[in-house]
Amino acid sequence: MRNTLAALLPCLLALSCSDSTTSSGGADLVVYCSLDQDLSEGILADFETRTGLKIETQFDVERNKTVGLVNRIIAEAKSNPRADVYWNNEIAHTLRLKNEGLTVAYRSPSADGIPASFVDREGHWTGFAARARVILYRTDRKGPVPNKLDDFLDPAYASGGAMAQPLTGTTLTNATALSLIRGDQEMLDWFEQAKAAGLSFGSGNADVMRRTCNGDFLWCFTDTDDAAKAMEAGNPVAIRYLEQGDGDLGAMLIPNSISILASGKNQGAAQQFVDYVLSTEVEQRLAFSVSQQIPLHEGVSMPEGIAVPGKDYQVMDVDWAAVAAAISDRADAFQEAFVK
Amino acid sequence: MIPLLGSRSARPWWGLAILVTLLAAWIPLLPLLEPLVRFDRLSTMLDTRTSGLLWRSVWISTLSALLAIAIGWPYALLSTRWKFPGAGLFRLLMPLPLLMPPLMMAQAWFGLTGMTGIGATIFTFGLCYAPLPALLVARSLGKQAAASFESALLVSPKLGWMSMLRISLLPALIGGGFAFLFAAGDFAVPDYFATVGNLFHVYAAEVFGHSRNADFTAGATASLPLVLLGLLVLLGNARLLKSQLGFESGVGRHAQPTSARGAAKLWIPLLLLALIVVLLIAPLAQIYFETGKQGPLSERGWSEVSRTAFQEGITRGRSSLVRTMQYAGLAGLLCLLLAPLWAHLILHCRNRWRSALLVLLCLPLLVPSVALGFGSILMFNQPWLDSFYSSLFLPALLIAGRFLPISVFILLDIMSRVPDAQEETAELAGCSYLQRLFRYRLGGHVSALWLAAGLVIAFGARELDFAILLPAANSSAAVRYYNALHFARDNFVAAYGIILVALLFLPVMLHAWWHSLRKKS
Repeated sequence: MRNTLAALLPCLLALSCSDSTTSSGGADLVVYCSLDQDLSEGILADFETRTGLKIETQFDVERNKTVGLVNRIIAEAKSNPRADVYWNNEIAHTLRLKNEGLTVAYRSPSADGIPASFVDREGHWTGFAARARVILYRTDRKGPVPNKLDDFLDPAYASGGAMAQPLTGTTLTNATALSLIRGDQEMLDWFEQAKAAGLSFGSGNADVMRRTCNGDFLWCFTDTDDAAKAMEAGNPVAIRYLEQGDGDLGAMLIPNSISILASGKNQGAAQQFVDYVLSTEVEQRLAFSVSQQIPLHEGVSMPEGIAVPGKDYQVMDVDWAAVAAAISDRADAFQEAFVK
Repeated sequence: MIPLLGSRSARPWWGLAILVTLLAAWIPLLPLLEPLVRFDRLSTMLDTRTSGLLWRSVWISTLSALLAIAIGWPYALLSTRWKFPGAGLFRLLMPLPLLMPPLMMAQAWFGLTGMTGIGATIFTFGLCYAPLPALLVARSLGKQAAASFESALLVSPKLGWMSMLRISLLPALIGGGFAFLFAAGDFAVPDYFATVGNLFHVYAAEVFGHSRNADFTAGATASLPLVLLGLLVLLGNARLLKSQLGFESGVGRHAQPTSARGAAKLWIPLLLLALIVVLLIAPLAQIYFETGKQGPLSERGWSEVSRTAFQEGITRGRSSLVRTMQYAGLAGLLCLLLAPLWAHLILHCRNRWRSALLVLLCLPLLVPSVALGFGSILMFNQPWLDSFYSSLFLPALLIAGRFLPISVFILLDIMSRVPDAQEETAELAGCSYLQRLFRYRLGGHVSALWLAAGLVIAFGARELDFAILLPAANSSAAVRYYNALHFARDNFVAAYGIILVALLFLPVMLHAWWHSLRKKS
């Protein structure tokens, strides 16, 4: 026992001395990032190589669905803010930070060419590299695949389909945007009717995509990045955009968003980083990645087969500020409707 | 420090343990205390919907715990008390399912069978937490006094069996109690199995829903019913521990495994093999298959995809694995020192203090870890504490503080069996407190100490919710694993999961190998 304890002290010292701190002490920039870690790491590393700046990055995971880092930024801001830039893989919670007064205005020259609907009028956030909400369906099986959202209410469609519960992530953002158009109670009723019609509800978009690939469902309502991965893995699936008839809503497009945090200690480096991430080069890189994110700059080259929003399909108009204002209440209402 | 090492009094060491625990467990809880004890909200909190969720959590967790006992108890009994070829291997494999994240087990069994719903949830929890009763039962059986067992055996084999069952009943229930706690706090597995068929949720999903709010303390408030339930279970466990004392003795010769004869020579290994296939081999094989799984239209072969996934797991995930091992290892080391001090302190406490200390010690384990993470941010993210807040010490301390009760329970169980006279004699002979504690109380039970630290390391490596929130833990293996899972990098996730499990299992294997070498020499 004495020998064991004698061995403990050096172990303790060795562990504590071996890289006992994160790089934040010597970092030139602290980035909080909700995008796919494998995807963003390469972009961050390239920025470091080009500029010589050292970045400390903190990532998010599914269980927290973006909210982990957002709440962390809010909590840290109370006493000792740490992040300089927040790179969100969606948008609603970036607006929450703006509404909390935690972001600062910055109009990046790289944002020129991004449609005005994806850029904050006051410059607090900029959208880029989007995902569309789509139907992913199996091409090797016959059966009805929805063209419209209200097809989800028809048992003939619903019994073969699935979507994520609208509790987090892009599904919550999508459901909140639809609530603003259709009405809060009407949207809750819509979900009840979809459940009654036999629609299945999964724990997330990737989850329903996987189960569609496994053959449990004929179709699912998910994001294009999940759909792209399903196709890349060689599954017999294809994409369909909803609400494409005359006067229809169109498919919802949810961009990545980036903002500089007001309390960041490295504002210059943060602006440099935002300029880089918003560049056409990065959008092109994300378009050619496994996620096939949709560039918002015009003229950025894309892999074959990616449909161009506004040209190949109609896009839903979204008032992002209203979505951000409503999302917390909607999340509570959906929680009560689904978590029981 | 040097005079402290030689001190004969226990008080300075107990004071040190309380001081470290204050930092590791209680300070991060301070911002949660007020929201946690909003008892006035309990009545409004538990409406028909949430009461239904709570009730479902209770019976799902109870059935999961019973299944864990039903698997773990016979597994431990057969593998530790019978001699047959391969018995050592079965004992070695016993803790491994505990090292697999429950969600990974769920995905594996869904892939193997397509099972869903509440039944699949109970099955997964039962498998994941079966090692808890198994490990405690194995320890208890290993310490059964030879005299009592052999006397019973002389009267009749049935009585021999009964004496083994009697001595291992309470450890099995204690392990089941821990299984109940972990099952009740997990929402990811029920969420995963709820997709097909009737949608269902558990109370932990309600807690998580509130933790997403701008007011994160709402999560702590919502967790109050689960915290109270957990406290009941843990205090029940403490009572069971006390009752167990009458059954065992830590001194003298211990009962040895009996050679399996006749049909038992065949059915015991076959039964254990069947259990280990269900617990371990089948899920791991499924996960291994998923490292190269592709759709029917893919032009890439299984082996090519699998090889790439493992390469990426090692190249991209190596630094995260190292980081996880650093802070989880540090947490384990801290518990090696803290847990004996706490167990000894509780052992010497008066009854009412004992209960109060146990409640205080168990609180960090019972509150949602995401709330604990936010509590740490509020308390430690100060400009003057910047180096500490960013360092590995913070996640290590929090993990040690959160999982300390498990280590303390294990050591309390062991220490209670050592007669006080042994320690008192050492005190009269002038031994220092540390000598008395580690040589005379724990001297013959080093493996229990390693088990206590090993469990902290295993649970610490799996910890996700506060890993996201703390700077030094954010680049951990758990964060990378769940990040890749979210973004549907399924081949990578499968390969990385296997690498992580193998890495966690390595110390267990090395310890077993070292132990067998020592035994031979």
